[in-house]
Amino acid sequence: MNVLFTAVFIFSAALLLFSAPQEFLPALLSAASSSATLCVALLSSYAVFCGLSALWEKSGVAAALAKFLRKPLKRLFKSDDPEFAESVCMNISANLLGIGALATPYGVKAAKLLDGSAYIGEKEREYALAMLFTLNAASLQIVPTSVIALRTAAGSAAPSSVVLPILLSSAFFLAIALPCTKLVYGAKLRREEKLRRGKKRKAFGIGSARRAEI
Amino acid sequence: MKIVALVIPALFLFSFAYAAAKKVNVYETFIGGVKKAPPLILSVFPYIAAIMMLSTLFEKSGLSAAFLEKAAPFFSAAGVPAELMELILVKPLSGSGATAVLSRVLAAHGTDSYVGRCACVIFGGNETIFYVGAVYFSGVKHKKITAAIFICVISYLLSVIFACFLCRIM
Repeated sequence: MNVLFTAVFIFSAALLLFSAPQEFLPALLSAASSSATLCVALLSSYAVFCGLSALWEKSGVAAALAKFLRKPLKRLFKSDDPEFAESVCMNISANLLGIGALATPYGVKAAKLLDGSAYIGEKEREYALAMLFTLNAASLQIVPTSVIALRTAAGSAAPSSVVLPILLSSAFFLAIALPCTKLVYGAKLRREEKLRRGKKRKAFGIGSARRAEI
Repeated sequence: MKIVALVIPALFLFSFAYAAAKKVNVYETFIGGVKKAPPLILSVFPYIAAIMMLSTLFEKSGLSAAFLEKAAPFFSAAGVPAELMELILVKPLSGSGATAVLSRVLAAHGTDSYVGRCACVIFGGNETIFYVGAVYFSGVKHKKITAAIFICVISYLLSVIFACFLCRIM
């Protein structure tokens, strides 16, 4: 992210310096102000949905859902932290229902939990974070409400005709991205595990003998 | 459409009733939840501001137009209409930006045309990848998701091609 941000920023700024230097600062300021507007809009929807989700946490709905999905989650993320499972469950369910505003706070919380967790290794953390990102980068949604609303507003004869292609195209995205992420980060994980096991063996002095046998 | 409109109100109704039945202090708990919203926004704001500034610069400098011009032939070869290039570039960056571009495409080409349907599928079937990356990992110290972002961008481009293919046959 750092490299991408810096490179695109410098390149764009340099180009703008030649073509229209007077537009540089206004462009930045207008972007900042529209991000502030966006954040106010987000704040209002977070206020509504954070309130709702607090009720779920207190009344045990979140925990029950997490318990129900524990096994598949453990396989997907290779993490068994119950609090993390709860956040991820809510994140995925909110995504499926198409309430992005509710999915985001849970996603942020899940990422923070992973980041601060002392129980998992460095590579396991990376693996779970990458999985969390990939799942959220796919637009998992049962009914794409915003597109249907936009099509209806634009006067479409068949607003929901795109629902099936949308589902198929998100499924296609996941079918490529998920295995690739698993492969790349899983390979890192295995490499570290091998290293760790090797070190342990050496520490106990049984590594070399075993390896000679093989 | 009618059932869809019921989902959210029903969700609220069920949650409040269930919490009350479980003898949770609904009022205090709800307030406690809302209290978490402002700090969350404050932690996310810098990331949103930075990515928006970057995408504005990218557009204003003419870099995005030059990029689109170069990339369009490749996409056309893969069956993606050139009219959709702007949407394809904006979608991973910004949800509101993509909504604006989609409305423009729908107004120009009609909702039920091939271009219009492709635009809807690309818009609905994909997520704002960079935005998700920036916001979700705003509070994270271990930011080793570069490879994941790369994988998702490639998958996104492939799914765009797939979306246009679907619109042709469906």
